[in-house]
Amino acid sequence: MKIRRLVAALIATGSIVALTGCGADPDAPVVDTQADKGLEVMGDAVIYDPNHLVNDGQPITVEYWTWGNASTDPIYSMIDEYEAIHPNVRIDVTVVAWDDYWTKLPLSVKGNRNAPVLFNVHNSYDALIRPHMEPYDIDLGDLEADYSFVDTHVDENGDVKYIDSVINTGAIFYNKTLWAEAGLSDADIPTTWDELIAVAQKLTKVEGNTMVQAGFNINGSYSAIWQGLNYQKGTLMFQDDGTTANYDCETTKENLEFLQSLYDEYGIGSVKFGDDRDLSFGNGQSAMIYEWGSYVGTLATNYPDIDYGVFPTPTFDDDVPFAYDRYNGESTPGINTHQSDEQKAVAQDFIRFILANDDYIRLASQVLNSLPAKISLQDDADILANPMLAAIAPRLDRLIWPGPTPSTLETSPLIAFENVLQNGQDIDAAVAYSQQLIETDMEDSAFTSMEDRYAHYDEHN
Amino acid sequence: MSKTTKKALSVVVTVLLFALALVTIVPFIWMFVSSFAPNSEIVKITGGIFPTPSTVDNYVNIQETFNFFRLFANSLFVAVLKTVIIIYVSAVLGYVFSKMHFRGRNVLFGIVLSTMMLPWAVTIIPQYEMMVQFGWLDTYRSLIVPGLVSGFGVFLFRQSIGSISDEIIEAAKLDGAGDARIFHQIILPMSRNSIAALAIFTFLWNWEDYLWPFLMITDSDKMLLSVGLKMFSGQYGTDYGGLFAATSLAIVPVIIVYMVFQKQFIAGIATGSGK
Repeated sequence: MKIRRLVAALIATGSIVALTGCGADPDAPVVDTQADKGLEVMGDAVIYDPNHLVNDGQPITVEYWTWGNASTDPIYSMIDEYEAIHPNVRIDVTVVAWDDYWTKLPLSVKGNRNAPVLFNVHNSYDALIRPHMEPYDIDLGDLEADYSFVDTHVDENGDVKYIDSVINTGAIFYNKTLWAEAGLSDADIPTTWDELIAVAQKLTKVEGNTMVQAGFNINGSYSAIWQGLNYQKGTLMFQDDGTTANYDCETTKENLEFLQSLYDEYGIGSVKFGDDRDLSFGNGQSAMIYEWGSYVGTLATNYPDIDYGVFPTPTFDDDVPFAYDRYNGESTPGINTHQSDEQKAVAQDFIRFILANDDYIRLASQVLNSLPAKISLQDDADILANPMLAAIAPRLDRLIWPGPTPSTLETSPLIAFENVLQNGQDIDAAVAYSQQLIETDMEDSAFTSMEDRYAHYDEHN
Repeated sequence: MSKTTKKALSVVVTVLLFALALVTIVPFIWMFVSSFAPNSEIVKITGGIFPTPSTVDNYVNIQETFNFFRLFANSLFVAVLKTVIIIYVSAVLGYVFSKMHFRGRNVLFGIVLSTMMLPWAVTIIPQYEMMVQFGWLDTYRSLIVPGLVSGFGVFLFRQSIGSISDEIIEAAKLDGAGDARIFHQIILPMSRNSIAALAIFTFLWNWEDYLWPFLMITDSDKMLLSVGLKMFSGQYGTDYGGLFAATSLAIVPVIIVYMVFQKQFIAGIATGSGK
């Protein structure tokens, strides 16, 4: 009897709670009859005139899928603005956790119940979602007039299915407190790797045989930094065919030797100093690390007490390099090609609205700690007040995007780094092994490098 | 073996068991303590093993990340309903396979058992396609119906019902009871231990089930708690404090179910393990 009563009580409780929330929806879209809303036309080349009816003013609901929340995805705010202009449109947001977003999205786009019409895009999953995306109904010339790097997103049919809203790259984060303790000032900010080594030696602390403070910690960052170092010397990530990785080359070996010397010769860090440079920097144990803009958010959330600054990644000499580093963009939303014409029309209207609207890019820049891809905002004083963005902005023209490269270009080189610095393997053998890993992983890949679209491509080795 | 040796052995075993219990429990205690600490404290390298608890903000802010109570209720509803249905269906089939004699009984039972041997990864794709074809995505039918028959449950009940004397059933039949009455008034009450064991297993499996509910349910109002907990993990990091606070609350029903059924659970497993 006890079990029966308990089960009955649980079912009743569950049923009652599950049924709560039923009732009229106060946010339901309403018929819109007012085409002329008396609002200003937005945009420079990509223009959005809000004075029109969407879906003939009839109520319509579309789904937007994202892995972010309102504090990391600027689309939330744009939806609010758009719904205020077009009260007959409701855009419901569904959040799917980042880890599993790329499992669920490709399965769900084909017209299932609650399938998204608009969805957040990350270019690293381009191959997975591109077949399901509708091209933007915006003139390519207008897009290129307003945004940088649009050409890297034009496919073989001349279509653009998403572009970069903001872009980011690596920079050096330094702990200002440790910097001051070592008697360093802003004048000591290094511009070359040799200068960085000199500064890092002052910031390194060793007690007995144990390092207690690393001057420059690169543990875990090789997967990203090797690309930048090779680009600085004019070496591409891919060979001329655009599909074969160019990891096993003299530049890679030189740079790996250089990184090894930071620890073994100059002693400014150690492989024994933990495997997570972010954690180490956040805990005040590493004075400098190489990181990307997203780390600003991590610092704010997990390490609010760290007083840090950011300076551009040094170069090997004072000359302008082939490229300072690679960049990557945060993408504008995609449109699901499997949805109805009415829903796709609303999605196209929304995309035009956000691309013409500076608010979108400003917010994206702010929440993603990245530099606007929108040309008119790239020298905006408010945006450049962010030290991370101020550090990378002058280099925008000399940043290169190799395309949505397979992850093996990051994971396999890291194995070479570990084999050399931790296992004492010969550099030639370690690099050759990782090259082999990359080629095996990419056997079935349709990836083709975008490096040849870089403005200074002809300057490469 | 002398009395002293026995005592020493007992002490050693007890110490070992305590050590094992400690290893098992410490992560839970760490999670619980961490749920009262800010993220900066949780990720701190220096200091002791346990973060210093200093805030209840993680609990206060859970509802901001997702509708915790709604998802909690959804999970409770689905887990309880599935548990009740699976127990009933398993008991019926266990009774049929144990006490009814018909041609092909063993073959059928073998087929039921074989469902336990198929890896989940093999069936998930066709099952997903079926749900798409039925139009059941984003409905609880897609969570409940495919799991109605549990091979493990049928096996457990067949074994336990098999230990009930045939004379009791024959006596009931002589008194005019039909199969339905025998099942509901004799077999089920005598299977309390198996019911408890299967209840714990089924509730726990459904409470923590992630992949299938994740693939089936998209509507945030219908989502289950195990899926919602993932919301604390972002592209560039995890809100550990929030995750630990929500998880600390999420394990409460499992603890309650285990505490209610634990005596019968142990007896039920013992009954189901032999004939």
